[in-house]
Amino acid sequence: MKSAMLLLARTKSALFPDGALRGWLLTPSSTSVARSSAGLHEPSDGEQCLHWLRQTLNLSLKISTIIGMCCMVVMAEDAKSITYDDHVAPIFRKHCLQCHGDSKQEAGLNLAGYLSTRKGGSGGEVVVAGRSSSSRLFKAITEEDPEARMPPKNDPLPKEQIALIKSWIDTGLRQSFGSSPVTMRKLGFTPTAFEKVDGPPPMPQNLPAIESVRLIRSFPVLALAASPRAPLIAVSSYERIDFVDPSTRNLIGSVPFPEGEPHFLRFNRSGSVLLVAGGRPVQNGVAVLYDVKTGKRLAEIGNETDVVLAADLSADEKQIAIGGSSRVVKVYSTETGSLVRSLVKHTEWITAIAYSPDGKLLATGDRVGNIHLWDVFSGGVVLPLSEHKASITSLSWRSDSQVLASSGEDGLIAWWEVANGWPLVSKADAHPPQRSAGVFGKIANGVLAASFGPGGQLITCGRDRTVRLWASAGNLLKTFDSSPVGDSQISGTRLLPLQAVFTFDGNSVVSGDSAGQIKSWPIEAVQK
Amino acid sequence: MISELVIVVNVDAKRCNPGSKPIMSINRLTLVTLALFVSLIFPLTVRSSEPSFRRDVMPIFFRAGCNAGTCHGSARGKDGFMLSLFGYDAKGDYERVVNEMIGRRVNVAVPEQSLLLLKATGAVPHTGGKLFSKESEYYKTVLAWIEAGAPDDIGQVPSTVEVVLSSKGMVFEKTELSETLTVTAIASDGSQRDVTGLARFFSNNDSVARIDADGRVTAVGPGDTNVFARFSRFTVGAEAIVLPSEATFQWPDPVAINFIDELVFDRLKKLRVIPSDLCDDETFLRRVTLDLNARPPTLAEYRDFMADTRSDKRAIKIDQLLENEAFADFWTALWAEQLRVIGGNYAPVATDVKAADAFYQWIRTQMRSRRPLNEFIAEMVDASGSNLSNGPVNLYTMLVHKPQFDPKAFAADFSQAFLGVQIQCAECHNHPFDRWTQDDYYGFVSFFTGMKRKPGIEPRERRIFCDTTAPPAKHLVDGRPMPAKTLGSVEPVPAGGDPRKALALWLTAPENEMFSRNLANRIWAQLLGRGIIEPVDDVRASNPPVNGPLLDALSRRLVDVKFDLRSIVREICHSRVYQLSARPNESNVRDTRQFSHAHLRRLRADVLLDSIVAVTGVPRRFSGFPDGTRAIEYYPRESGDTEGPHFGDQFFATFGRSSRATVCACETKREPTLSQTLHMAVGDSVRDRLSANGEMKRLLESKTGPDEVIEELFVKALGRQPKSDEAAAMRALIGDSVKDPAAYEDILWSLLNSTEFAFNH
Repeated sequence: MKSAMLLLARTKSALFPDGALRGWLLTPSSTSVARSSAGLHEPSDGEQCLHWLRQTLNLSLKISTIIGMCCMVVMAEDAKSITYDDHVAPIFRKHCLQCHGDSKQEAGLNLAGYLSTRKGGSGGEVVVAGRSSSSRLFKAITEEDPEARMPPKNDPLPKEQIALIKSWIDTGLRQSFGSSPVTMRKLGFTPTAFEKVDGPPPMPQNLPAIESVRLIRSFPVLALAASPRAPLIAVSSYERIDFVDPSTRNLIGSVPFPEGEPHFLRFNRSGSVLLVAGGRPVQNGVAVLYDVKTGKRLAEIGNETDVVLAADLSADEKQIAIGGSSRVVKVYSTETGSLVRSLVKHTEWITAIAYSPDGKLLATGDRVGNIHLWDVFSGGVVLPLSEHKASITSLSWRSDSQVLASSGEDGLIAWWEVANGWPLVSKADAHPPQRSAGVFGKIANGVLAASFGPGGQLITCGRDRTVRLWASAGNLLKTFDSSPVGDSQISGTRLLPLQAVFTFDGNSVVSGDSAGQIKSWPIEAVQK
Repeated sequence: MISELVIVVNVDAKRCNPGSKPIMSINRLTLVTLALFVSLIFPLTVRSSEPSFRRDVMPIFFRAGCNAGTCHGSARGKDGFMLSLFGYDAKGDYERVVNEMIGRRVNVAVPEQSLLLLKATGAVPHTGGKLFSKESEYYKTVLAWIEAGAPDDIGQVPSTVEVVLSSKGMVFEKTELSETLTVTAIASDGSQRDVTGLARFFSNNDSVARIDADGRVTAVGPGDTNVFARFSRFTVGAEAIVLPSEATFQWPDPVAINFIDELVFDRLKKLRVIPSDLCDDETFLRRVTLDLNARPPTLAEYRDFMADTRSDKRAIKIDQLLENEAFADFWTALWAEQLRVIGGNYAPVATDVKAADAFYQWIRTQMRSRRPLNEFIAEMVDASGSNLSNGPVNLYTMLVHKPQFDPKAFAADFSQAFLGVQIQCAECHNHPFDRWTQDDYYGFVSFFTGMKRKPGIEPRERRIFCDTTAPPAKHLVDGRPMPAKTLGSVEPVPAGGDPRKALALWLTAPENEMFSRNLANRIWAQLLGRGIIEPVDDVRASNPPVNGPLLDALSRRLVDVKFDLRSIVREICHSRVYQLSARPNESNVRDTRQFSHAHLRRLRADVLLDSIVAVTGVPRRFSGFPDGTRAIEYYPRESGDTEGPHFGDQFFATFGRSSRATVCACETKREPTLSQTLHMAVGDSVRDRLSANGEMKRLLESKTGPDEVIEELFVKALGRQPKSDEAAAMRALIGDSVKDPAAYEDILWSLLNSTEFAFNH
């Protein structure tokens, strides 16, 4: 909970540069998370103030930028409360962790954690409590010579941020607001017991309206998920997730995702929790659990320097695995929020992650086409699955956990028999390249997504702009043309179906495209 | 509304016809009418204000360095993002920027959050650092393009067809002066635009003139160089001359013998460089004999020439040497080296000794019979038939030594050998510093895609022919078939039949300046030690001739004399420039490229070995060749196949004769090495010859005293009289043992180990 609160705090502090809200910031009652949205409920003092400021400063509600600047603003009189967790870590994350983080430690220095920051690099410690002038880190960021200065090949850090780091050092390198260091976080998330999967299917109810970022056009549907028990589709947008009724395509409600772009969505098996993973490219990445009914944020996992491109929630809901450009799959405990293990095997960006429904296996895929199967409990490698020659775009488990489907930018769909690691069916050119007259060479025909339905059929979409339905035996049943609508919106751009899923009952498929639109098609009974 | 339209028209008018001022004077009403008219006719006019990916965005990738070879333009991209090197593949670049990772690099919903912009402005960590600021035009253009939805271009975007620099040449009176260049791009629709802010600049020699990112050229030190601007696929240059002080310069006005002297002296005068004096007769005789007959002058030749009092004795000497068969044999050796003649005994690869010999003998016959060089080359280019009986067809077995004929490798080596142009860069991307595109490359490769070898009657024989049904090469980027097309032309040659006929015609035609300039430059380099374009086989826009008019004139003259080798060589040797002393003066001591004095040239390995043989009188045997074979007549004959480096004799490996591993002129090495020094000092080539065959003894007996012997040794080895102090020192070495060959052998050893012997000066 704490980190969610902190996020809120940061957002607010950025909105109130004059420090008027400091008292409010520290009020414990502000635990209702994600209030960057001005709800319909009684606004607090802070929120009234917020309205006023928005008008005065014409902030255009660009929360994106606001979050980016969130940590820049610090008052001089506030120096005593400057801490690593609240103020310094965000600066490091934005400017330093690419080279001095978990995945790479230039000069042996890792600034991603408090302790490793204190420990310093191969040349010894970089911060000396109370003495910024003799701290090498401070020297490095204030160096006059651009060749020697950090971050390299760039403008120096903004003055406010330098001042902040200086006072952090000078006030004694505090880790967090409390007097004792906090290493474990309590996320307040309780995994759903298996037997609880019954009762009425959870549906969002009276979600507070959220204020959206002004978009000049719709954001592509990067992620799509269907509730396993209800006529409910979660659709990603920019800094928010929309809940949509698949048959009417009406909006049921939205939850905000101020961390940026959702890249991955998944409901838990009871349909009560939605996992959202995403972030901002080369800035931050996170996975968040939402309560579907209330829209409340239940937990936040990970604190990455780049977008979380892939994630999944384990069947017992005790683990979340996330991955992205760091090439490491990180497995977190949903109960404590702590890192359970890092799976280091992939040599490229992690692009797909999926836990098996039986809870035993974890499948991960990367940008050069490698797939690895891991044992959920030990973290050991079970099998490599080698067939794809280009980026894996999605991994999906059949409900019996016996078959894993993978799709790739190489145009291939593979149905893997997990027991032995061989593909049962391997469809090359699953979305065949369409060659017009006079065009030679390779035509991009990547498969962009694949997802199993309850009956074992697979739905895929590809760069040929079609959505295709495959029988459980791997033969093609039907092709849906997803191209006509909206193509003319922007001349010179091509509309692509990016995601496709079955609805909970398997009676229709829904796709989302690069113009941010949702389409759905019924599936006739005979084809099931 | 009206004023908006006016603006539109103004902008468009400017694009179509820049510098057209009259529009300003047209009265407002006309303008408005015109505006309405235009807007009716071209409803899409307004769209032209939207940035185009190819026209506006890609040049920014180029200028900011995004698509450079060390960054995202690398063959595998950088940090997971690849752009085509300098933008040869616009379509692919669009896909990678917009569609490869949707929503990431380009965010059409919140454009300023596009990673492309965040990275370029250093707002997020970027290995390449900050490239431009949010206030720059570059940022605004890319942002506007993304705001428009990051559209791909529809239809044909006018492509850049020519790039023009505001200056062709600059002369700076002194250092620290500067001049700013502007760069104009002319598009295929005739429109022009100032692309100074989108071009990249570089200087060939920063110690003469620097050029900064804004096109400002600053004089640094005396000399001449070229500065260049690159935009689109074009590299255009301007000469930058920085003059030395005028105070110390007085042009001596040397007599010009022919056009060569006029053009070189014009250049030197412009650069305020004073040429050296004419070399003396001894130096001239040694130089021209080594250059034309690949050996030092004999004692008799030396005495005759020195005794000759005719005023035109140098010209007469040149003619004598040109008539000598050694001239033809030397050029046979040079061509055989260039065409990579190597004989093996591994039948399946078509380069058997018998084939190599057929090729070598054919070349010698052409050289001896004074075959015009264009005909000589044309006959090879469209040759077909047996590698054993038809010598010239071995161009297709030897120029590239591979078990299978490789059209791409062959096309690249072919153009390097016969045009001096290296097109192989364009296999993977447009040539970064020249005009060659992938279209040129694959079109050229298609001349050879039909070349086949089939077994002949005997195992060593291969019949070389062109399969006219073979498909042409495919373009790397889009797989288009590229029918045979000569370099730089737009249309392919007529289809049907053997395309090499058309190639041979085009290549050797008098109008093909690339061909005649290459030959002229190579011949000049052979005689002067340095090409007018250097290296001789790297002709490109960014490596211009150091004296353009001279190369033009030589090339024209070569055409005028109908590609007769002896005529052009005679003309060069006649010139005062060829006959200048190697001793520099105060003014030209730093000049290394304008021919103001003769270059010191270490003898080629084969000429050096022949010279040792000539001076000592002891022959050298070469394995696989009959006795009496000169080093210049030797080519590698090896067991096995003929791929890879082949020096043949170890002496050639030590002294850097071409190993024929590639077609590159750089295979012939003239750098000194420690092993060369050791070999000359203690190796068998010199040591075993000093006392062999009783030559020294005979010499001692034929002479009356040690002074005469010393004089003769000097003349034979160095082509000159000993100086008085040298003679005295040698005499002191001999002391009383005036008839002891050992003392004289030591003297000869010293002479052969002197740098003067190893160099043509």
